[in-house]
Amino acid sequence: MNKFLGNKTAILLFILPALLLYTVMVFYPIVQTFFRSMYEWDGLTEGTFIWFDNYTRLFQDSLFFTSVKNGLIFAIIITVTQIGIGSILAFAVADAKIKGRKILRISFFIPVVLSITVVCQLWLSIYNGEYGLINKIFEILGLEYKQDWLTSSKSAIIAIAFVNAWQYMGYHFALLLAGVKSVPEQYMEAARIDGATKLQAILKINIPMMAETYKFCLVFAITGGLNAFANMYIMTSGGPGTSTYTLTYLMYRSAFRVGEFGYGSAAAAILVIECLIATLIINRLIARERISY
Amino acid sequence: MTWMMKLRKNNPSMQIFLWLYAILSVYPLVWMIFYSLKNNNEIFVTNPFGPPLHLRFENYVAAWSKYNVPAYFMNSLLVAVATVAGAILLAVMFSYAAARLRWRFSKIAHTYILVGMFIPIQVIMIPLAILVRDLNLANTYGALIVPYIAFNISFASMVFYGFFRSIPIEMEESACIDGASIYRTFFSIMLPIIKPALATMVIFIFLNSWNEFTMAVILITKESLKTLPLGLLFFQGQFTTDWGAMGAAMTIASLPTVLIYILFSEQVENALTVGSAVKG
Amino acid sequence: MKKLAITVMSFCMVFLAACGSAGNNEAANNTAANEGNKETATNAAEETKTEEAVPVKLRIYAQYADDDTKLPYDYAVAELKKEMPNVELELEVQAQDDGQKLKTYAATGNLPDIFQAGLDIITTFKKSGNILELDSYVDSLGFRDKMYPSTMNTLVTDDGHTYAFPYAGNEFALLYYNKELFEQNNVKVPTTYDELMAAVTAFNAAGITPLSIFAKEKWPTVALFDMFVTRNEPQGIQKLDKGQASISDPAYKDAADKIVELVKAGMLPKGATNLNYDQAAALFHQGKAAMFLNGQWEIAESTKQLGDKAGWMYIPGVDAANYEASKYAFSGGGGPGGYAVNPDTKDKDLTAKVAAFLSLKYAEYKYTERGNPLVATKVDKAIVTEYPPMMQQLSDDIAKITSTTAFAWGLSDAKFKAAIEDASQSLLTGAYTTEQFISDVSKAVPAAK
Repeated sequence: MNKFLGNKTAILLFILPALLLYTVMVFYPIVQTFFRSMYEWDGLTEGTFIWFDNYTRLFQDSLFFTSVKNGLIFAIIITVTQIGIGSILAFAVADAKIKGRKILRISFFIPVVLSITVVCQLWLSIYNGEYGLINKIFEILGLEYKQDWLTSSKSAIIAIAFVNAWQYMGYHFALLLAGVKSVPEQYMEAARIDGATKLQAILKINIPMMAETYKFCLVFAITGGLNAFANMYIMTSGGPGTSTYTLTYLMYRSAFRVGEFGYGSAAAAILVIECLIATLIINRLIARERISY
Repeated sequence: MTWMMKLRKNNPSMQIFLWLYAILSVYPLVWMIFYSLKNNNEIFVTNPFGPPLHLRFENYVAAWSKYNVPAYFMNSLLVAVATVAGAILLAVMFSYAAARLRWRFSKIAHTYILVGMFIPIQVIMIPLAILVRDLNLANTYGALIVPYIAFNISFASMVFYGFFRSIPIEMEESACIDGASIYRTFFSIMLPIIKPALATMVIFIFLNSWNEFTMAVILITKESLKTLPLGLLFFQGQFTTDWGAMGAAMTIASLPTVLIYILFSEQVENALTVGSAVKG
Repeated sequence: MKKLAITVMSFCMVFLAACGSAGNNEAANNTAANEGNKETATNAAEETKTEEAVPVKLRIYAQYADDDTKLPYDYAVAELKKEMPNVELELEVQAQDDGQKLKTYAATGNLPDIFQAGLDIITTFKKSGNILELDSYVDSLGFRDKMYPSTMNTLVTDDGHTYAFPYAGNEFALLYYNKELFEQNNVKVPTTYDELMAAVTAFNAAGITPLSIFAKEKWPTVALFDMFVTRNEPQGIQKLDKGQASISDPAYKDAADKIVELVKAGMLPKGATNLNYDQAAALFHQGKAAMFLNGQWEIAESTKQLGDKAGWMYIPGVDAANYEASKYAFSGGGGPGGYAVNPDTKDKDLTAKVAAFLSLKYAEYKYTERGNPLVATKVDKAIVTEYPPMMQQLSDDIAKITSTTAFAWGLSDAKFKAAIEDASQSLLTGAYTTEQFISDVSKAVPAAK
């Protein structure tokens, strides 16, 4: 068996193409980013090597802390909602007796198919303080609960996170559905014979069996949240003021609006490290859970 | 299955919730089509959510005349198909080796590939653009296809890795005993098992490539190679934007994907059932 | 199976080869490519000298999105066709991306022959040698003679050189108002802060938004701040940009205080910092907002929507005396910018000539057809579109203007620009204090030069 699974030629054949392409197109630029994060550089000229000055500056920049905090808020909101709702919908649609499963399945995925520009424009209209749908509903209900959804520095990041959560829930739904489908039927049969309720069966059998699926859903959601950029770029441009900045946005501002490419690279380097730590934590946690099961 | 029936009969709220959520999910599609037939005033002020009061097909005329839709469409399709094929092939081979074959650095290699998911594209844009130039890919389809494949490898590998990890080892043991080669095992036993994941990833990567804007706007300069999302550029001015025409451009760009998705979702459904049948 | 193995292997080979060439050629390639460029550049230059009508194709990166950018561009290109039929332009539409695309082009040596550059691009590209100094062409093409004395600031940068042929003149930020709404509600057109506050209160009581502003974009918020500053410091934000003032100076601090006070009193529409132009303008055009802030280019649209109900006012002062004294201290202004030339273009002389020609014709169209007299260069053609009354009033005032400042995009210090944009927008949320404002901006104000 070891010989079978340790076939050197096969391993090389399988991994080399991906590794090579990835190294050249993705990893090499990442290394460049780390390298350039130690430069004072505008992206065009030679630049000057300044060791860790960019990082020292970063840790004194209040905008950096705002950005990190917003990234975490964003990541938490999208992780909880996407995986939470995604799971409920996936288990419900996997149930062979739910009516119109096909239509439901297609519908849940529609927001993912649309471009992020369309979805952000829609939510901009919904959140708008003057003409928006949410405030209009409150008005019709006679409630004096009009909110500045995207223009209050406190709620804006949450409002934007929900847009992302809502749009990409479909991804998690599809991945989880594929996961549910991969759980062999006989396990569920066994649970049924034991007289377990549906919920019990899901909690005791499906979810532990889908540990790997949940692992990549978590990694995907959390790193996606920490990385968030397009939503704020389209919806608030980081505003009002700087209240919806994330590390990627800070990077973008530094590199292109301010012309400090080195400083922006330092922000990006921190982001990569942050994501790596998050991934390692997730791997640890889920691995442990599997052992306990 | 009677217990399930019972559960559902007692619990119609689930069914209602599912349908409400479905309506909420489909609304943006309808909204986009409404939007594409309005002018700025209607979009933002007088009627942001309802059907257009006056159908402005001129938005489509404007969008269509601005860019060569059939050519852009073919470019998008070609790039997306090549990206899907390349990324899936490379990722599935890599993640199989990383997840199941026995070699020393498999864990490290897996983590190494994963890092690609963490990097915002904006930050590596300049090194990437230089790379594309130095590899002589500039102004070829390769300028998009090669980076797209590379950037989709990370995510696809992570998903495939997860699926491969949950397959019991007995699968390979029996194949080995039957005298199948590792390649045969991979293609005829392993790939069919992860068909649900394959089908899902085909859609994901297709969409990623189809809707990609950031890299396309910078890496493609030749008119004959432009993809659909680049059409959005034509309507955003410094001070004003023709939102209606932009809506029309977005509709032209995304309606085909919706249709492709709906058609293709049949295949996904089949793939999903086949997948579980093999195991069940 | 063999087939597959072969395919996979050939895949590997391709990538290996690609990888290798990427590794060792990086630096060498760069210089080699540049050398090559220069060689072909001189060759091409010689060729065009001998053969005059050789067809030339030039890449141009320019704004081309709405009527205000498309029509003048089309006109300029049509005129070019008549003047130099051998030149063909290949247009790339400018992306609204903070110069990301242009900077990447510069980094990869793929810069178009002609590109539209603002002050920020000029400043960056100057340092890296990605923009051609045009001084000799300004003289040889007689461009200087075509400039108005008052618009020379758009031709020459602080270092005394020219990097782009300008077409836009000095433009202004104006405070528009709806005369009818003021009359109907018995509100005096404000001349002082107190009267402005009274107007805010009165309009709020009548259910009318006092001042509409599209603060989703950051520059109008900077313009609003600048308007208040110019009452006491005519150089406004430009003085900060040059490192000649401190944000904690009274003129700036008082302006921030006033804005916070007015915002808290309800001067702005709900969610102002997320209103785009269309939404904010609709409030004003439909008579739901009494005042509106925008550049003078808004005159055409407001006249169309509101007719002679629309007007623009002098900015309210601290008191009556201050109002009179600072009446002609305008906010806004122009700066270096326009069509710039890539130093690696094949035939510099020809490209510069084309860029200068395009700028002139662009300005000409804006002047004759778009009712915009605020262009950089003199136009000797008659106006086709009559000035609306608001523009007439402005053009009558131009000679009296004592000072101008700058729009946010005309600031030269990128760091200060980003900081003042973010901070000014925050001021309009009402949940941001003057102290925070001063502290956030002071970090980015350039040191005195």
